[in-house]
Amino acid sequence: MKIKVDNISVSRSGQQVLNGLSFELQEGHILSVMGKSGCGKTTLLRVIAGLVTTENGTVAIGGRDVTEVPPQERGAVYLYQEPLLFPHLNVLENLAFGLKIRGENKKSSEDKAFDMLEQLDLAAHANKRSEQLSGGQRQRVAFGRALLVSPAVLLLDEPFSNLDSETRTAMQQLYRKMAHEREITTIFVTHDLKEAVIMGTRLSYMDEGRLLVYNDLKSFSADTRTGMQREIGFWQSFDRK
Amino acid sequence: MRKYAVPIFIVAVLILPFLYLPALSAAGEWKHPSLLPVSWTSGHWKRLFAAHGGIMPVVTVSFLLSGIVALLTTAAGFLLGRLLAGDPGRRQIQAVGYLAYAFSPVIYAYCLQFFFLKAGIGGTFPGVLIVQFLLFFPFSVIYFISYWGRNMMALEELCFTLGASRRAAWMQALLPVSAPALRTAFFQIFVFSWFDFGLTQVIGQGRVSTLSLTVWQYMAEGDPYIAAAGSCLLLLPPAILMLMNEKNIRFRP
Repeated sequence: MKIKVDNISVSRSGQQVLNGLSFELQEGHILSVMGKSGCGKTTLLRVIAGLVTTENGTVAIGGRDVTEVPPQERGAVYLYQEPLLFPHLNVLENLAFGLKIRGENKKSSEDKAFDMLEQLDLAAHANKRSEQLSGGQRQRVAFGRALLVSPAVLLLDEPFSNLDSETRTAMQQLYRKMAHEREITTIFVTHDLKEAVIMGTRLSYMDEGRLLVYNDLKSFSADTRTGMQREIGFWQSFDRK
Repeated sequence: MRKYAVPIFIVAVLILPFLYLPALSAAGEWKHPSLLPVSWTSGHWKRLFAAHGGIMPVVTVSFLLSGIVALLTTAAGFLLGRLLAGDPGRRQIQAVGYLAYAFSPVIYAYCLQFFFLKAGIGGTFPGVLIVQFLLFFPFSVIYFISYWGRNMMALEELCFTLGASRRAAWMQALLPVSAPALRTAFFQIFVFSWFDFGLTQVIGQGRVSTLSLTVWQYMAEGDPYIAAAGSCLLLLPPAILMLMNEKNIRFRP
């Protein structure tokens, strides 16, 4: 669903974290958000999820103003850097958790969860506990659990940052494929420039509490703040050698 | 055999009191220098259950007292920990919690005795219950303030964004996830309360008889056999709780 954020502001301990921030994201797009540490990227995701209250402005999802709507009713699933699986449940139960708490019966929710496990190539691990999985497998379960509830919006807060390079690449491909198939609107926070470009259908940079969404890769690349030119220069320096 | 000598010695030292007490409680005649009683009897146990109206009312009072104190302090500490999660002043509150343990529980009880007498609850079961709550509640607060960290808050938020109501998040995620921590806190506080002597003695003024007070009384009367039988009863609930909680207290290198 389309997201429209209009003029939101949040301050913490007297410091303005978000300052009249506005942007729009069309349905099915993935918006990569970059920016320095502490610039407010996580706060932006938490405002959209309804976990932090904005001092002014509005948040709309699918044309509905959700500014005053509690997180349970927004349809925006927020995924953390850590996969956060429930330790008292096995992999299959973890996947089915979102469906069960929405009132779906055990059989139906576990059938859907098992289908998702197969898509995630984790069917063999259905009865394992989360501590028996690798970091990448845990993150796949967390994704699957979020996707199963058919969220209107997915908010991903550096979800791959703790993974090794190979697993990270595999996760990026998997997520792009699944988000594309399901047309899930996604906001993807990352510190990794390459990942931002790979994942995002739109690119943005957060600075001084505002979000600048670029029209295309060329304009993103032209802005020196994004670090794109520095990165290109680094790789070109090898060519010159 | 040699390689087992040290572990056997350590285990023997650790379990010696648990073997000695039952042996003494069933000893008919045990004279120096015999390592074991010369004869055995169930007479001390019979006396324990018969003397002063029997031990069972005292055991019941102890169970009720420790059970209620452990339940209330664990629940209150858990909820307060959640309430204070993310609060910038929670570390200060945690530090204040240690004040209750800055001085001896008996001195603490003497400080409070005046107020309990004025309130008319000195020497009563509710009075002892309240004073134990006051002493063990800070332990629960210290424990659960540390427990409700970023990870638990993130789990709660995750439940909400997945669509869970507050009730569903608590019933289906937070409480089951917290079960080991809740069990550990309950077990610890139950044991503290079960073995408490000073607070119960001072605030209960001898009118609230718990098992630990009664065993002490038998010792003071110079009856080691019946005191040993009472001590066996005293050790029983913590031993059962320890077995039930064994998974949580097992050392993992």
